[in-house]
Amino acid sequence: MLPDDALDRITEGCRTIGKICQAQGIQQWEIVATQSYGHSIDIEAGKIALAAGGGEGGYGIRVVEDGRFGYAYLVDLGSADYALKQARDIAKVSPSVKGFVLPSEQTAKKVGGLFDKNILSIGPEDLLEQADAILSEVASLDDRAVVTGGGLGVGASATAIYSSEGIESSGVTTSHGMGIQVSIDADDELTSSYEGDSSCQRLPNVPDCIAVAVDWAQKTRGPIEVNSEAHDTPVLMTSEGFSPLFSMVVPTAIRGDRLARDESFWSGKQGELVLAGDLSLIDDGRMEGGRSSSSRDGEGVPTRRQTLIENGRLVGSMWSTRDAAQQVAEGRIDHAETNGCAVRGSHQSPPGTGCADLQMVSSLKSSSQDALLERMEDGYIVHSVMGAHTANPTSGDFSVTSSTLLRVEGGQILGPVKQAGLSGNLAKALSQDVYLGDDVRIQGSYSSGNMHLPDVLLMQGLRINPA
Amino acid sequence: MVMSASPTDEHRPSTGRYLDQSKIQAALDQAQDLGASYAEVRLMAITDSSVALRDAKLERAIPGQEVGVTLRILADGAWGVHSTTDLVSLPSQIESTVRLAKAVAARRSSKDRPVQLAEVPILEDEIHWKPKQDVRNTDLQTKIDHLNTLHNSAADDDRIISVTCGWSDEHLHTELMTSEGMNRVWSFQRSLINASVTGRDGGEVVSYRTRHGGEGGLEVIEACDLGELGESARIATLRLLKAERAPSGKLPLIADRDLTGVYIHEALGHPCEADLVAAGDSCLAGKLGQTIGNDIVSVVDDPTIRGGYGAHPIDDEGLDTREKNLIQNGVLTEYLNHRESAHHFGIEPNAGARAQDGLHHPLVRMSNTLIKGGTHNDVDELMEDIQYGVFACGSRGGQVDTGRGSFQFAAQEAWLIENGEITRPLKDVSVSGLTLQILKDVDGLTRDARLAAPGFCGKGQTVPVGDGGPIMRISQALVG
Repeated sequence: MLPDDALDRITEGCRTIGKICQAQGIQQWEIVATQSYGHSIDIEAGKIALAAGGGEGGYGIRVVEDGRFGYAYLVDLGSADYALKQARDIAKVSPSVKGFVLPSEQTAKKVGGLFDKNILSIGPEDLLEQADAILSEVASLDDRAVVTGGGLGVGASATAIYSSEGIESSGVTTSHGMGIQVSIDADDELTSSYEGDSSCQRLPNVPDCIAVAVDWAQKTRGPIEVNSEAHDTPVLMTSEGFSPLFSMVVPTAIRGDRLARDESFWSGKQGELVLAGDLSLIDDGRMEGGRSSSSRDGEGVPTRRQTLIENGRLVGSMWSTRDAAQQVAEGRIDHAETNGCAVRGSHQSPPGTGCADLQMVSSLKSSSQDALLERMEDGYIVHSVMGAHTANPTSGDFSVTSSTLLRVEGGQILGPVKQAGLSGNLAKALSQDVYLGDDVRIQGSYSSGNMHLPDVLLMQGLRINPA
Repeated sequence: MVMSASPTDEHRPSTGRYLDQSKIQAALDQAQDLGASYAEVRLMAITDSSVALRDAKLERAIPGQEVGVTLRILADGAWGVHSTTDLVSLPSQIESTVRLAKAVAARRSSKDRPVQLAEVPILEDEIHWKPKQDVRNTDLQTKIDHLNTLHNSAADDDRIISVTCGWSDEHLHTELMTSEGMNRVWSFQRSLINASVTGRDGGEVVSYRTRHGGEGGLEVIEACDLGELGESARIATLRLLKAERAPSGKLPLIADRDLTGVYIHEALGHPCEADLVAAGDSCLAGKLGQTIGNDIVSVVDDPTIRGGYGAHPIDDEGLDTREKNLIQNGVLTEYLNHRESAHHFGIEPNAGARAQDGLHHPLVRMSNTLIKGGTHNDVDELMEDIQYGVFACGSRGGQVDTGRGSFQFAAQEAWLIENGEITRPLKDVSVSGLTLQILKDVDGLTRDARLAAPGFCGKGQTVPVGDGGPIMRISQALVG
């Protein structure tokens, strides 16, 4: 999948651009390169719709002169001179940030589990076989169930970073992922569920998420009538239902620059209780096999595992080099420095600040779903929400809709509800009675990184509005 | 080098074409020799620029150029696709991509319909929508000046704690060559400016965002009164600081132009996409020709509206774009389609294929979608019969489950309507419902339909869109 010399080529490309930077006498410079290859299969209407493959990549150049930075990106090394000129021209009109310099080389320990050579040998035929296996599994679980959309894919990505400050690092990561929508359209009723899984390691041919998708498409059939008045209620949000809201609101709120600029609902609350007293928030940039983990962050600084909220108290925040220097220079904070939280979308953008593999944990004993239901007594289980991206990360307020929810009474599941609105303030809800399940699952994110979350029972602060 | 063969000058190659036509023609011929019934090579070169100011200081400016090319091959009734930034490697991928398509086809059961494409005119030409002021010639300082105008107006209050202003522009150049002999080149530009305003009053923190943009160059930005845009964002932010949470329940709703656009995009536009209908993932399957909405509702999707953020001259399968009448007086009259779905349903191709860039294959997508105007004169006339309801304005986005036909969209701000008049400001209003119900509940539209603020639509791939319409009244919507 990935050419044997891909890593050497992009590393050499970085050096070539670095030499041009040196020849031009640029004070500080940083070159990043990515080159990705992969295969993918699209599934529609219960059959394989297409098979695709390919690769893409490019270089990003950041120059820093007297605290001013400029950025440009390119695909072809032949246009490096022009890109460098653009980056330097931009630096000239950028504000000088006192104290902003590119990070120096520090030793970084390797993070394991980010590469699986078995993935490199997965070809299109293997993926087609896996797609067939998934389609067969869905049909065997319920002959009414159809995979109406989604797909699967494998990829390998070579990345390199090379800077004037002595950083020279490169590596290859792999990925294997899938996401499928299963629908059951029978007896004038259509129900569906979307589930996915991804890993740096090769996934099983038929991951557990396939059965989960069929299960939710089945158990949301035959909706029951419920009180249609909007009311405050406990809600057990599955990891899948909770993570879109959590990832839209929480990682942004804990960015150092947002906190310093009063743009977070946790601004001015360092050391204070902001979550329920048993909850902690940990960003682990060094998690073995973590989908967003790596030995170095987006600007070459060694990553770390850090506690951001400890037993409910805000004790940390996330910083990249420039954000830290800027907030100090502007007098918003006395001291800040990078803690390895620089993230990049691709070579096309300079680093920003964000989390890697974010976990919410409790010091209390975690509970099975049955135990959580018993504690909840009356309420709802919400497994997916529509409109999580409309949640307000500045305030934590949200108002979303779910068509994948179950009514619970006396700790027992009564049946599915056709549709309901769900609203509240996530920050406030997480600061009250919260109980975590015992099965942590990895979810994607609307902001950065990956979310490692169990089912979450929110006893207060949410309102449900059945259709 | 793996990545290569993009043009070495700053904008485009001296020939005006990125693709070597003779080599690509030979590759397409080879695909047919290997058994492909159809093959295409589509290249997109995007010259773009983004600029961000945070509290009037330049946060970042990123110029860039990306070139991507996608080879799409239909063989034995199935698709194989290869995408790359390495243009010169493309001919060497023909054999493997034909093999890929055949491998997909081999796994189809006899009851699966093979993919076929509706016939279309085969054209060889170039169409360039020239901007009045080529945005590639706009220097960084000019962009910063415009952003500062927006910032200064938006930030003019002590309770405004932060204003982030953004600029993006792009020049899109596409080349398409097919085994049928299609050989078209087209280009156009888009420009966008936006602001995100954060206000704080004690412990209350709110944010509001505003956008202006469209197809075209610098003239798009200069046509906007940026001072007024910033001022309205500031006023809205300050209003949100005093706003109450919205009531929950089924209520009469009035939506402004922005929200009307998002509503029709989510609730109707997506379920109208014929690839979703064919996949069994649309609540509008089998409903062509049926009445699905109130007879005052007529909806079009029109990529030919110059200046709309979703405007484009040619779709990504090489068809001239045209207006699509999705609903006429409440009757579903047309799906958005591409060549594959048009053949599937035996309907006329209507140029609905769009790809995010040169590295993605085309899907059925919307462009500029809007509800046509009605008979009410203004919002006051729409409100006068409402005893207790909500007037919701500005969009924070939306989402739809096309199969179930359920949707959700969120407003940036809102007001309570009591006894026919606006009373108190509200925040965090979202609206949800079922497509096939709520289209029937639209019972009032003002006369003046037009596109609202530009937006982006995600369907695995992200494309710019324009949405809009008149001010709309829904007799009953689930407000949360």
